[in-house]
This record gives sequence, structure tokens and C-alpha cells, in this order.
Amino acid sequence: MSDDVLSVIEGYDQALLDKAKLAAKGTDFTERKGEVAAIIGHLHPKRLSLRVIKVIEETVSTKTLRLEAVGGYLPPFQAGQYINLFVNIEGVNTSRPYAISSSPFERNYYDVTIRRVIEGFVSNYLLDQVHAGMCLQSTGPMGTFYYNPIFHGDDLIFLAGGSGIAPAMSIILDIIHQKRPVRFHLIYGSRNMDDIIFHRELKQLEAENDFLTVTRVISEPSMNYSGKKGFVSTELISELVGSLDDKMFYLCGPSNMYDFCLVELKNSGVPSRKIRVEMNGAPKLPEQLEGWPVGVLSKTIINVTVRGKGRFSAKVGEPLINSLERNGYFVENACRTGECSLCRIKVLSGNVFNAPQARIRFSDRQFGWCHACSAYPVEDIEILI
Amino acid sequence: MKDFDAIVIGAGNGGLTAAATLQRGGLKTLLLERHNIPGGCATSFVRGPYEFEVALHQLSGMGTPDKPFILRKLFADLGIMDKVDFVEEPELYRMIIPGIIDITLPASVVGVARTLKQYFPKESRAIDDFLELCKFVTLESIMVLPRARKAVDKEMLRHQGKNFAKYGLKPAQQVFDEFFDDEMIKAVLGAYWGYLGLPLRELSFADMGALFYAYAEFKPYHVIGGSQALSNALLDSFLEAGGEMRFNCAVDKILTESSAVRAVRTEQGDEITCHTIVSNASSLHTYNELLDVSNRVELVREDFKSRRLGVSAFVIYLGLDCTPEQLGVTAATNFIVLTPDDEAVFRRAETLDEPLGCGFTCYNVDDPSFAPEGKSIASLICIQYGDVWKNVAPDDYVNTKYAFAEKLLDLAETVFPNIRSYIEEVEIATPLTMMRYLNTPGGAIYGFDQNRLDSSLFRERYKEIDGLYLAGAWSGMGGFQPTYQAGVSVANSIIRTQIYRDKANV
Repeated sequence: MSDDVLSVIEGYDQALLDKAKLAAKGTDFTERKGEVAAIIGHLHPKRLSLRVIKVIEETVSTKTLRLEAVGGYLPPFQAGQYINLFVNIEGVNTSRPYAISSSPFERNYYDVTIRRVIEGFVSNYLLDQVHAGMCLQSTGPMGTFYYNPIFHGDDLIFLAGGSGIAPAMSIILDIIHQKRPVRFHLIYGSRNMDDIIFHRELKQLEAENDFLTVTRVISEPSMNYSGKKGFVSTELISELVGSLDDKMFYLCGPSNMYDFCLVELKNSGVPSRKIRVEMNGAPKLPEQLEGWPVGVLSKTIINVTVRGKGRFSAKVGEPLINSLERNGYFVENACRTGECSLCRIKVLSGNVFNAPQARIRFSDRQFGWCHACSAYPVEDIEILI
Repeated sequence: MKDFDAIVIGAGNGGLTAAATLQRGGLKTLLLERHNIPGGCATSFVRGPYEFEVALHQLSGMGTPDKPFILRKLFADLGIMDKVDFVEEPELYRMIIPGIIDITLPASVVGVARTLKQYFPKESRAIDDFLELCKFVTLESIMVLPRARKAVDKEMLRHQGKNFAKYGLKPAQQVFDEFFDDEMIKAVLGAYWGYLGLPLRELSFADMGALFYAYAEFKPYHVIGGSQALSNALLDSFLEAGGEMRFNCAVDKILTESSAVRAVRTEQGDEITCHTIVSNASSLHTYNELLDVSNRVELVREDFKSRRLGVSAFVIYLGLDCTPEQLGVTAATNFIVLTPDDEAVFRRAETLDEPLGCGFTCYNVDDPSFAPEGKSIASLICIQYGDVWKNVAPDDYVNTKYAFAEKLLDLAETVFPNIRSYIEEVEIATPLTMMRYLNTPGGAIYGFDQNRLDSSLFRERYKEIDGLYLAGAWSGMGGFQPTYQAGVSVANSIIRTQIYRDKANV
């Protein structure tokens, strides 16, 4: 390019020569075609096609699905992360996140360990209908609940309840493989002795590894049970681990356990930077939450209009994403607890109640965006998806 | 009948301002975004009680309400000034070379001169001359250069633009050397080089001088709610004007007919027709991957050959359970370097070795609302080329990431001890994270290397495909202000073309 005016600028003509020199040695970057997609596809694929290769019966109420990649490649993950499994049940497309319970160094398959939820829409399907050979879609591994060597320290206490053991199992296996210099105390609450997931495996791991201590706590013990029982209170934790100072606490389990333990730890002066939590779904009883509008009943039926697409009726007390899915609308999603923000949608008119656990950006609130997985339509609304 | 007058690919800064300008200018516009949120770089994410600003460190170009500059007017024209709150920052930056110098420059030209003279009394005269030069080169580049080019008037440039003509294209380092003897004052005045991604030797003085002068004269700003608030406001401006937006909708192909755009095909397989396409994706992605006739744009290919892939960044987002005071942070923007030699610092960007320099931004210093009471947010950043990560196997990725993060934290802790002990939430972004979210080769954050040949003085708009336009860091300067401006500017030229076309049709 020659621009006569610019030749007035000192160094302009030289720069043109330099540019020609660069061009002579340069590339048109076609050799990089597909590079971004390939790199990201190996680390953070949006979707995985998985095949069930084995169904392992863990307890009466729990099974592990062993999943391999249909295409042969599984991306790496950090112990504690989950995948969101997509399913079609009775014509409804939905999904649920499940933590990977296998080691991150097991690169041939992911295990997801699923406990039956009474009246659960998806867990019952996965436990009763899914068998070896079936294929499922999922997201890539996601989530922020994992051991972070930058600041988690070396004294780790994991409070697990029910299927909350799944990420703990993966973290334990990761510590073993990486020979991480940590102590790990697992305090694992189960309903009864028959309900302890990975009972045998944990016993063996505990015997083989000095860093690991496992304490089982049974909430509904039989007559002849002599171990720890009741709820995981700080009294019990202190009795087991001594001072609560300088320890990192991990919480994963049903929401009643989470609510209880979190309050217990905070009341004992454990700062929030020392507590990592993995939430478990949207609140089942939103009307009991702080900020719920007075006088609004969760069983009330309202209308949801999806701009340009249609309209359906929904129950106030049900997370918006569930009624959307039941009515044939798909919204991208992964965590279904309000954290990941993938199901972000805009409320054009009417109000939704956002569960306090929803991690909504400041300006998203300001401009009317919510996370469909943890938003409850408290009146007729119109949304943009 | 086409489905849309215009389709904008990508809701980054340039895409958002282009889409809003087009729609408000009367063109029926569709904005497509592969992610679920607008902004591209201009975004945020939430962990625990913290919302992290992803990319904006200091917004330039606003000017004060009394002395407004170009971006304030641009935002006003798009109707978002009453939807976004801006916070003026009192300081440019604090520059620290541990054990050698610790200096904070206030955000005013007079203040900069006063402070520098206290530290470098022998350079007093040169300080005044240098700041004066920065001013004239900046003003001439805005006021004289475009007019002289348009009028093809050599004499105008030679006389009214004499400072630009003499210094504009010189390497910044050369001009610094001409004015100053003390290496330390050069390091202090050149601290912003990281915002351009290359050392002073490779930057033109026009870029470096204008960057410094514009921040000092028109003040750095940040945004309540982070740059995401700007992105959301711009999207709102677009939607309110009747624009249509689709998230989770990546474009797969740009379809042409007789070297003119015809339609886009989305990842879902929909074909949407249009007259005009503005791509806010990288020029490389647009022409090498999206365009259906990518082998038939020889001039574009030729232009690519004289470009070099630009830097990416490694960032640690810190949610800290302490106040800035507890940490010893006194300015929002901090540059920590172990040596005044910017070349040496820069060369580490091509490796995973211990970084020699970093930026540490903590908005809570001027704006306590940026984190819950008693807490702070900081972002710790060093520039790094994406190719460093190309040979890291996926299975080694996480541990490599942590290992480098430890090195970067060690560097920051030389000035702000015990950062680690306050961490409540942390998220680490590597150049591959940038690649994932920006879809740019090498995870480049400013487009191509912004050397002096990257300037618009040496580049023309690509015209081989009729109706295909670029708006963003890959067809102009990178960073917030330039990309916001690029979107508006390209949209306005499309609107003008459209008006001519309509008139011709009547």
C-alpha cells in the first residue's frame, strides 16, 4: 500500500520495507485451521457421547454407571468435578449433574455413582432403565468443587452424606496417585449400615494409606450398632479431628445435611474461606427461603410466555427450567443449582424469585436475567430464551 | 427478501456496539453469540460471594463529565449512560521494583509531572518536554492525521502534524532514550506497555504516548458491576431498538454468492440470509474457517502474512478475605517488575519460567462495593503467548497451570505478602482459557501483535467479499476503547452505504 501523504512521517518508507520483509517470512495462518477447536475439544468439549460399559450395584439404593467415550477420548478432569447427564424420559429432555467417582488418572472411563431419590424423575430412570450398552450424552467435566493446591492446605476434612461420597472417592484416589502431602479425614454420614456406599473400598483404602481416616456416622442405626451415630455436628467433628483451625472443610451431601453442617461450622468460628461446598440441586421448598414473597403459594399455577415461541402454565414452586423442559423448551445447563450460569435467561415481564444460592451477576440482576434452574416464577411472566 | 439487513457474529465489544448502532440506525439486525452471555472479554463470573471482572483493568477514553472524551459520547449515543455507573480512578498506577523503586502516579498530567520530578529531579526538564510531546502526538493523530489523509495534503501533515510526523512511527524505546538518561524513569513511564502486549522497542511511540497521555488526561475508569454491566447495557440498547439476539448459537459458515455475502449457517444448521455481515470473531477465524470461499481472498491472505499472532494472558482471579489495607494495597492498578528491563520481562511471555513482571488490579481500593464488606477482589495477570501451552498434554494441563500460578503468586507476594493466606475463592485462567472463551488462535487477547506495522497506517479494510466487515481487535487496535469504537465506526459506514444503496434504488 502506498499512501503518498504518509511518506511525510519519518520512518514510514522504512516501515513499508519492514512490512514486506515480515510478509516474506510470514504465514497466512491456514496451517492453524482447526487448531482452536482441537485444543479446546481435548480440554473442554461442550458435549460427550458416552456408552455405559458396566452397571455396578453399590448398595440397595445406589449404582455406579461406568461410562466410556463413544469416540474413544475422554477429557481430563479435576477430582470432585461432575458431568451433566442428558436423558430423555417419557419424551421429556432433561439432565442431572453427577460427580465423577473414579480417579482422574483412570483415563478409560468415568464412573458416576447415583443414589435413588424418592420420587426422583431422573435417578429412578438411570437406576432402573439404563443398562450396559446404552449411550448417553453429557457435558464435559465441570464444577469448582475440587482440591485446589494453591490454598487448600494439607489438613482436609470431608463431610459427605449419601451419594456425596462420590467426589470424595475421586479426591482420595487423586491424592494417592499424586502422592499429595495432605491428611484427609472423611466423615461419612449414611442412613444405615446397608446404605454405606463404597464401604468395602473405603476400608481397604484406609488400611493401605496413612493419610486417610474414615469415620462412618449412621443416622438411623440398628440396635446392635456401636459406631458413631446421629448427625455430623461440630461436637462430633471436634471429637474426631481436634481443633477446627487451619483445616479445609468440604461439604457434599443432601441439602438437609448441608444446611445443618454449614451452620454448625460457621457457629464454631470456621471462616467461609475454609469451607468448600457442593450444592445439590435447587431448593425443594422455596417458600421456606429468606426473601420469598409473602402470601405467594408454591402450588399456585401461573403462565409462562416464551417470547416468539409459545406459552405454558407452571407451578410457582417449581424451578423454571423444569417446566420449560417439560414443555419442550431446551435451555443449556449444567449444574442445576444456580452456580454455573449456563441457563441464564431474561425475564421480560413479571417477577421470579431467585433462590439465595443462585450466583447471579450484579448486572444480570439489574437487567432482568436469572438462572432458570434456580428461579421460581411467582406470577405470570414473559421470558426470552 | 433477506431475513435480515445485517447479521453480527459475536457479542464482544465490537459486535455489541456494531449491532446496537446498526439496529438503532434502522437496519434489521441479528446478533449471534456462541456463548450464553454477551461481552466476550467484557464479562464477569461469580464464585461464592465474589463477582470477578474478567478483563477490564482501566477503561480509557471516557473523560470526565466536564471534559467528556470520545467513549462517553459513544455510550451516550447508544443510550446507556443512565444504565451504567462509572467510577473515576484517582491514580494511573503504582509501579514497584522491589528494593529499587515504589512510585504511584496520579491520574493527571500535572500530577504525573510533579510526582516524577520528586523522584527524578535531574530529569525535570525532560519530563515536561516528554509529556508535552505525548500530548501533541496524541492530538495530532486524532485531529490532523485523518484530515490530511482525506485531503491528501502532505503539507498539512508536515506542518500541523509535525510532532506526529517526526515521532509517531519511531519505536517508543527510541523516543524514551532520546528524552531520558535514567533507566528507571523510562521503566516508570513505560509501565503500560503490558496493555499493548509488546515491549517498548516494538511499539510505535504514537501508540505508547497516546495510551499514556489519554489515561492521564482523560482519567482511567472502571464500571460498577464490571465490564459485564457495560455488555448487558449495550445488549439492552440493541434489544430495546428491536434487535434480535441468539445465544448458544455459533456460526458455522459464512455463505457467499459471486463474492458477496448471502447468509450465515449456524451450528444448528439454520441458514439465515442477509445483506451484510459484521464479524466480531477474529479475522483469522472469519476468513480461514467461516468463509465458504476462504481460498479466494488473496489480498487478505497477503495481509495475514505480515501479521504476527498476538499475546494472550495468564490471570489469577483472587477473592480475598481481607481489605486492601490489610494486604498493603494502596492503588487500584499495580505493576510489579523485578527489573526495569521490559525486554527481559517480555521474553518470559514466551516461556513457563518464573515471570519477571505482573499486573495486580484491586478495584476495592477506590470502590469498596466491588466485594462484600471486609473482602476484596484482585486480578493478578501476566502476559503470555498461547503457543507456550500448545505442547502441554491435556493430562498435564491442570498441574502445569497450578505450577505457573504458584510462580506468579510468588512474584506478587514480593510486594503483597501472604496473599495466599487470605484466599477464599480463586480461579485461574491460562491462554487456553482465553482461547476457549474468545475462540482466538493462541488465545490472543489483543488480536495480532500490535507492533508499529499493525497500525491502520499500513492496513486497509478487506474488501474482497462484498458486505463482509470486521469489527474488533483483529482489524484495529485491541483493548476496550478501541473495540467499542471499531464497532460503531464499521456500523456507521455500513449505514452510509445502505443509504446510498437505497437512494440508488429509488
